[in-house]
Amino acid sequence: MNLGKNSIYEKNLSRRNSEINISSLSFLFCEMVSYCHSNSKSISELENKLNILGYSIGAKILELNCYRENILTIKKQLKRELKIIEILQFIHTVIWKNLFSKMADELEKSQDIANEFMVIDNNPIISQFISVPRELKQLNCNAFVAGIVEGVLDAAYFQCTVTAHTVPRDGHPLRTVFLIKFDPAVIERENIRYGY
Amino acid sequence: MSYYFAMIGTRDNPIYEAELGTFKQGGDGTPKFSAEMKELNPFIIHSSLDIVEDLQWATNSLYLKIIDNYYGYYVSAYVTPTNIKFMLLHENKNEENIKQFFIEVNDLYLKTLLNPFYSVNDPIKSTMFDSKIKLLTKKYL
Amino acid sequence: MSKAVRTAADEIWKNRVEKINVELFTLTYGSVVSQLCRDLNNNYCEVNKQLEIMGENIGVRLIEDFLARTGAGRCNSFKETGEIISKVGFKIFLNIVPQVTNWTDNGKQFSLVFDENPLAEFVELPDDGKAVKELWYSNVLCGVLKGALQMVQLDVDVSFVSDVLRGHDQTEIKLRLIRYLKDEIPAGED
Repeated sequence: MNLGKNSIYEKNLSRRNSEINISSLSFLFCEMVSYCHSNSKSISELENKLNILGYSIGAKILELNCYRENILTIKKQLKRELKIIEILQFIHTVIWKNLFSKMADELEKSQDIANEFMVIDNNPIISQFISVPRELKQLNCNAFVAGIVEGVLDAAYFQCTVTAHTVPRDGHPLRTVFLIKFDPAVIERENIRYGY
Repeated sequence: MSYYFAMIGTRDNPIYEAELGTFKQGGDGTPKFSAEMKELNPFIIHSSLDIVEDLQWATNSLYLKIIDNYYGYYVSAYVTPTNIKFMLLHENKNEENIKQFFIEVNDLYLKTLLNPFYSVNDPIKSTMFDSKIKLLTKKYL
Repeated sequence: MSKAVRTAADEIWKNRVEKINVELFTLTYGSVVSQLCRDLNNNYCEVNKQLEIMGENIGVRLIEDFLARTGAGRCNSFKETGEIISKVGFKIFLNIVPQVTNWTDNGKQFSLVFDENPLAEFVELPDDGKAVKELWYSNVLCGVLKGALQMVQLDVDVSFVSDVLRGHDQTEIKLRLIRYLKDEIPAGED
């Protein structure tokens, strides 16, 4: 099928109209959660479906953001991230900013467990969209964002699982911790290559 | 001069392959590989993958330049941020042009990837993509 | 009237709308549509239906946001409704202004023609021969319009006529007024 001038390859990657009303995203997101909820028998099944939806766009977001960064950097240096801390910082700053117009709030490494890291958002915009009914109290719709993060990391060859947890603190009732557990092979590679 | 271009996914699976010919020096874009080379090309590329997988952790760069050679043919490589490997088998050294070729293929790949109906590691079957690759060959190779 | 409406809408967009990058929106919608196709085994007619239902659910809530944000009063005619939908509604939610055309003589049907569609950026329909004949990728829009208009007592049939994703020349949605719903209450007025 030849679409000629309507082909995606004729389109320009730098959009003119790059903004939209946040309510539009909110409405879409709520309906998406509603759809997943009607097809799920438990909270964990619902969170899993949201995770999968997010995962499928992770690689796309990574490639897109790298493209943008490479265009914007003065030296036009083309690069990939090689170390855990670098890719996490990329997510914490560039990717969060691209998706949510702000950087994430904290980036931490677990004290006790070698392969666990955390990206923390005090006020995730996704949580602001949804008011969770009492019977779904344990649900964190940021499972969708956790899926995106997992998709980004997997695509960059930092295989892991990512889950979203509500951990309120200091006047931030919606504070969400994205817990990233890297596969042992990733930690091993990191230690061998970069020796710590 | 002839080129063999392959895009390899994250499971060492080819997602796109093309034999390309130069338009320079009066060439008409037709690749002129011998029958033996035609058969060997994918194997040469595949065996260079180990080198790529090793090199990609030693440098931040997407463009890895020439990574291998085989009886007078060079293999150049480029790894995208999502670990798709672009491999080019070529006869002449032409670093700057090959780099630009890879960069523009990366743009094409990004557009392919942004399609919600395309997932990572799916083969790329679009004829439009094919035409765009040929246009890039004309421009740089 | 047209210019004043456009200016008012621009002002609302500039000063009273919290904005976000469109990419997350486009990619999220894409993820939903492709998941629906998988869940429904590529039965594109079912996918269209599901997208319309989702759209209606959105529409009945979106209209409240719209009325609150714009303080718009009741429209005097279906023609006015068309203008408001394209110049204000689409502007403040999607930052696009589709063209209003193809009015029928009785003023009960018109079309919206889109020269851009943030839902469908970089989308190419699956090459299975079926999608390009059956799937209306942005069908959620029809649902939203139908649901929203229902809440202001307009029973409108909304459907796609053509879509550039299907290889057509333009993307066009047709809106046909079926009837005014009973118990008309002034919408949005104090």
